Amino acid sequence: MVILMKKIGEGAEAVVYYGKFLGRDAIVKDRVKKGYRIPEIDGEIRLQRTRREAKILGVASGAGINVPRVLLAAKTKIFMSKIDGIGMAGVMRGEHDIPGGMLERAIYDAGRAAGALHNSDIAHGDYTPANLIIDHKGRLWVIDFGLAAMTKSVEEKALDLLLMKRSLEKALFQKFMDGYRTVSKGQVEIIDRLKEIERRGRYQSRTLLPG
Amino acid sequence: MTFDDSMPVMGIESTAHTFGVGIYDKGKIIANQKVMYPIKDRGLIPGKVADFHANNFRLVISRALKEAKLGINDIEAIGYTKGPGLGPCLSIGQLAAKSLHQKYGIPLLPVNHALGHIEVTKQAFNLKDPLVLYVSGGNSQILGLVDSPFRHYHVFGETFDIGIGNMIDSFARAAKLVPAWGSTVARVAEGGRYFDLPYTVKGMDFTFTGLLTSATKALENHPVKDVAYSLQETSFSMLCEATERALLLARKRELMVCGGVAQSARLKEMLAMMTRSHSVRFSVSPNELNADNGAMISVVADRMFRAGERYNDIAITINQRYRVDTVKVTW
Repeated sequence: MVILMKKIGEGAEAVVYYGKFLGRDAIVKDRVKKGYRIPEIDGEIRLQRTRREAKILGVASGAGINVPRVLLAAKTKIFMSKIDGIGMAGVMRGEHDIPGGMLERAIYDAGRAAGALHNSDIAHGDYTPANLIIDHKGRLWVIDFGLAAMTKSVEEKALDLLLMKRSLEKALFQKFMDGYRTVSKGQVEIIDRLKEIERRGRYQSRTLLPG
Repeated sequence: MTFDDSMPVMGIESTAHTFGVGIYDKGKIIANQKVMYPIKDRGLIPGKVADFHANNFRLVISRALKEAKLGINDIEAIGYTKGPGLGPCLSIGQLAAKSLHQKYGIPLLPVNHALGHIEVTKQAFNLKDPLVLYVSGGNSQILGLVDSPFRHYHVFGETFDIGIGNMIDSFARAAKLVPAWGSTVARVAEGGRYFDLPYTVKGMDFTFTGLLTSATKALENHPVKDVAYSLQETSFSMLCEATERALLLARKRELMVCGGVAQSARLKEMLAMMTRSHSVRFSVSPNELNADNGAMISVVADRMFRAGERYNDIAITINQRYRVDTVKVTW
């Protein structure tokens, strides 16, 4: 039923495999054991976070946002549909040839997707071009909800915008916000909070690193 | 090979309960003396500690000179801790440095305390470009050197509320442990059993107040050793996880831990285990350099002085909230 095929990535908490699930292409994310944590803490965290991520993916999917579909969540593993496309981060680094206007359109859609996530009380937690994919039809997909949270927190939603702002040139961020404004219901408060966060010292020097 | 004609540099540290004086010369720490305000069962009262430092600073300076077998005229420059730290305590260090400057004309350099912990460890292990976990009473930060928009230690992650050291000390006081600090908590935690406490990591940031509140409350219906054990395992795991994420993001090949809490054997063990799984080199200084000390301030002062940094009298200030990411690294 399940074939683990190839390790394609390793993050701080999970290993990601490309595989087959019931004969179809799938991505398997496995939250691996961390030896430095005692088993009581480690086991609970891995189970809890896997459950949370699967739930959030379900909520986002239900709200019509393009995210991987959860095929199965079992213990510390999530099997999800594989999104075929190119990473927005790679596009921005000039690694792909794409039709003119496609990146701008995708950025605008990324703003719309952020608005829709926030309307569903989901803060992504790592909303950067590295976690956005453009498929062959030019559609935008949001991936990696490993740091996401179900929350009404204006601050956490504003932090999604801040991460994006730090990753984009001014003109592109404008496009992003144009998309965001067409969708986000709490935008006035969230955008105000973004400005406030930027005024506070704490995040001033916390520029994002490339990648 | 060139002849090194640099002269010894003195460092004065006084951010909290320690008044320390160190001397650094040609790549070596040649003196490291200190006195410490005695910690019993209560927190620091800054004014009282400052009085203690004021009564002791001359003694510590002369002990350091004696250890280095030097006279004050052999000292080329003096660094003192500008911050972050407790205002009244910082003032005494600044005063000590100023009095030497006025009497002997020795140039002064205002040093960031966190940089002291970082540079002394980099120096000891000859580290090139480490990710830094800086854990002390008031601070808990994950740092790494970046070149833009200016060369400085970028904060990859940090505590959203209190430093881990203060969190553990507060718990120790609530549990009536004496002396009320980390090593006592570690001793009490031996043989404890885990129960569930809040574990809060947000990416590379973390919070400790929720954990402290829960642990303090749990003292009512759990044996103290179980609470101490669970608190320690939870908080150190949080630090390790955030550090691991930063390590992979920043793609660094070296990790160092520094600051007062870097004296914890369990934290070191966990970090060593984590870095091994990524084939990352892990370094930690001996305890006397992770406790607050003057030697680390002398190392940074030496770097600053050799890089050509000079300060006039108006710049000889203190700043209780002197953030490490605002400091230009000139060396």
